[in-house]
Amino acid sequence: MSFLVNDGDSADEVSLLDILDHVLNSGIVIHGRLIISLAQVDLVYVGLNVLLTSVETALRQRTEPLPLPRKRK
Amino acid sequence: MYLYGISQEAGETPDVAGVDGQAQVQAIASAGLVSWVSPVSKSEFADNLVKNMENLDWLAAVSVRHQRVVSAISQKRALLPARFGTVFLGESSLKQHIAERKASLQSDLKRIEAADEWGVKIFGELPHKSVATQIPRSGREYLSAKAAGLQARSSNAADGEIAGFVEALKQLVEELSPGGAVSSGQRGLLWHGSILLHRTDRKKLERLLARFSRQWENQRRIECTGPWPPYSFVTREAET
Repeated sequence: MSFLVNDGDSADEVSLLDILDHVLNSGIVIHGRLIISLAQVDLVYVGLNVLLTSVETALRQRTEPLPLPRKRK
Repeated sequence: MYLYGISQEAGETPDVAGVDGQAQVQAIASAGLVSWVSPVSKSEFADNLVKNMENLDWLAAVSVRHQRVVSAISQKRALLPARFGTVFLGESSLKQHIAERKASLQSDLKRIEAADEWGVKIFGELPHKSVATQIPRSGREYLSAKAAGLQARSSNAADGEIAGFVEALKQLVEELSPGGAVSSGQRGLLWHGSILLHRTDRKKLERLLARFSRQWENQRRIECTGPWPPYSFVTREAET
């Protein structure tokens, strides 16, 4: 087969890029605004669009591999 | 309290550590839904969240843990995965926000029922007689060989073939979403998308991918990852 199917669970087999794409870029958003002051609010949510660009750039420039946590079992 | 996702029911809590690598994941019921959370340090995940996210080592490790938890929870039930970095400063705040989003969460859960997300990527392969293996006799030969190699990837015919694949894919899936920004810079990537596929259609997907793989032998490579929890197919905007 010329295509391969990977389980999105093990960091060893699936590209870290794919994990970051899913986790940073998608998923439900409970609160849409960037919270600047923590004093009055009860939820922290970070507006990720700006951050994502700098993450992409940093990943492309990086030369050593990223250290990944070991699976427990 | 770090949020991993929302499901309809609780059931057995998976034995998996949270994003801090230590705390146990727990289920909190409210508004007829179940929120999956784990306690986290306020300093690390609230006060310094943005600063920590700019540290790639931290971001990579925590993202992998986030996905592991989401994946573990998704094994036993349909889950709407939360985006990275959703942190509530208390349980009552969590419950209030869930109550506000209840209608949209319920409709999302219905949409993703019995379906999985899959990532599909098409990479261009170098042709057999690539510039690297064939020694050109002149500068002009080198440049025209290189141009031919580049052209093979960007010709109209090639775009048409990929469009054909995408059309066939669209017929099969419930939804199609463009691929994410982080991996879109991968070398040789020609096309990238996420699909929401009903579980009963999995074999059809495999047949479709096999068909195009055969057709594109030595020309393009298809990579498919999954099943993923349906990150890309949940409603993103807040109600207000």
